[in-house]
Amino acid sequence: MKRISETIIKLENLSKHFGSLKAVDNINLEVKKGETIGLVGPNGAGKTTTIKMISTIMKPTSGKIFVQNKHGELQNLLTNDRNLVPRGFLIDIPSFYEMTPAQLLKYFAKLQHYPNDQIEDRMNKLLQLFNLYEWKYENVEDFSKGMKQKLGVIQAIIHDPDFIILDEPQTGLDPKARIDIRRFIRSLQKQGKTIFVASHLLHEISEICDKIALINHGQIIAFDTIENLEINLKTNELVFQTLSEITPDKLKTIIDNLTMEFDPYLDKDLDPKISKIPVSYNIKEKEFTIYYDGKRESRAELLKILVNKFPELNIISFSQPRTSQLERIYEQLIGAEAQNEMNRRRFN
Amino acid sequence: MDFLNKLYSGMKPIGHTFVFELKKQWKKFIAFSVITVGLVLLASWLPYAFFPGNAMPEIQTEYFRTNQTFLSFILIFANCFFFSGIICSEYDKQTGFILFPKINKYKLIIGKYIGNYALVMGITGVFYFTLGLLGLYYYGGPLNFRFFQSFAMALLYILAVSSFITFFSSFMKKENITIITTILILLIAFNVITQFITLANPDFEPLFSLQYAGNLMSSILYLEFPDTVAERYFQITIRDFTIRTWNTPTIMAGISVLLIYTFFSFLFAAIIFKRRQL
Repeated sequence: MKRISETIIKLENLSKHFGSLKAVDNINLEVKKGETIGLVGPNGAGKTTTIKMISTIMKPTSGKIFVQNKHGELQNLLTNDRNLVPRGFLIDIPSFYEMTPAQLLKYFAKLQHYPNDQIEDRMNKLLQLFNLYEWKYENVEDFSKGMKQKLGVIQAIIHDPDFIILDEPQTGLDPKARIDIRRFIRSLQKQGKTIFVASHLLHEISEICDKIALINHGQIIAFDTIENLEINLKTNELVFQTLSEITPDKLKTIIDNLTMEFDPYLDKDLDPKISKIPVSYNIKEKEFTIYYDGKRESRAELLKILVNKFPELNIISFSQPRTSQLERIYEQLIGAEAQNEMNRRRFN
Repeated sequence: MDFLNKLYSGMKPIGHTFVFELKKQWKKFIAFSVITVGLVLLASWLPYAFFPGNAMPEIQTEYFRTNQTFLSFILIFANCFFFSGIICSEYDKQTGFILFPKINKYKLIIGKYIGNYALVMGITGVFYFTLGLLGLYYYGGPLNFRFFQSFAMALLYILAVSSFITFFSSFMKKENITIITTILILLIAFNVITQFITLANPDFEPLFSLQYAGNLMSSILYLEFPDTVAERYFQITIRDFTIRTWNTPTIMAGISVLLIYTFFSFLFAAIIFKRRQL
């Protein structure tokens, strides 16, 4: 059980304006120790600007950033950036001097006051973990984008920080490397590290984050756990997979029977843009999709019905796809925000 | 004691960056050193070794003075190549995204500056060492004290030129453009402006020119430094038209010009750098 009690970073009315453009507009956010927070938003939403301000690369136009210091107190980063908890940053796509990872990582670790006698060991472990060990003495200019990104993650954590900020860590990575990074973030979570990840890749975020902050036009439009955000969804989706393909001649009857049995729990106001029917089947994936009312109790009932009344379907999996749920939350909130913005302009 | 500990701790990142910069620029340093040795041999040994008709200067300091032809070129090119990217490359390549959260940006630039200054000083050292050896070979020892004064003047000249380039690097976007711009200014613009001004008013001493102040590196090798104004220029008069070429400022004026350039270049660079964001 993760202990989440102390605030490690707090953004208070944080804004950054570039002329008339409000890149970040009055953001309020609080991250507790041990949490993994995802900052999700489309390109240009204000994710990187927020991270640049947290990392003191960019000065805010207004607002405050509080970071926990080594005594456990919150300290205004903009007035005093000394004695704060060790932090690690990966901002954007990292660009390195044309030197070897060994030279670069030693330099970064020394700048972060990591004990001299432990640098070599720590560096080797991380390079091995990210499959870059054999490139330790090769020039970074020969590295692919994905390798540089991995090295970027290593430089962010070389000094074993308590608080890690990663901006688009999956950018430019192949699927294997993405899995590696996801696995690594999970291992950091287990160590109790606080992680702040910005990304536009919803599925990556949904896999690893405890809470999600949705950002658009520089404003946080929602900040909560995925489960709580789902409550606001108009519809919720469940997916179950069958062992073998259902032949077209049996399909209609099965769908009718499922619809009848599931009826009390199905979404009564299903948006036709999402689906015209509450129970559908994807032959290629051997997968049923159910649009239900989103209640946890309903989910339990639906599973019971499936197991007890439809054993012939040979169900091999039953899940709520977090990614598509999150995509829908995202779409709904961004859409609502766009509508509000339009109304505001019309009103003005 | 606590203050000293804090000071030591605060200086550490500068030290790490200094060492890192030496490693980063090492190949460039070797290349410049080899070129420097080659040019010194080309100008100061080859003509006497293979063309015996070439008369050697009578005294050691005169030999050093006449063989300083390439020094200001080497120093300008070395300074431009080592210092042009000192600030702008962090922004252009966005390496600052990695570095600035780790290190105070002023400490980074101070560390880089000292590292590059040490390397250019090393190249200057290679020049003077090679020339000094040739001087000893041809004239015997010891080396004249003026030779060391010239070396000290060269170090001051590097300080002024490097700060001038650092100022350009603080607002330019790309390293390559900074290299080209500063080479053009230092090699051509100063000379062209000096020519125009002295044509318009021959009495106007071009103390605004870094190049002119840099002439002290060789003129200090005169055993009798030309102290009067008339001794410090060369002029030809064609009918009513006088063309005057200023050879050297006075020692005090030259040192003052170099120090003023250093101070104001650093000051403006710091102001711009403070406002510049990634």
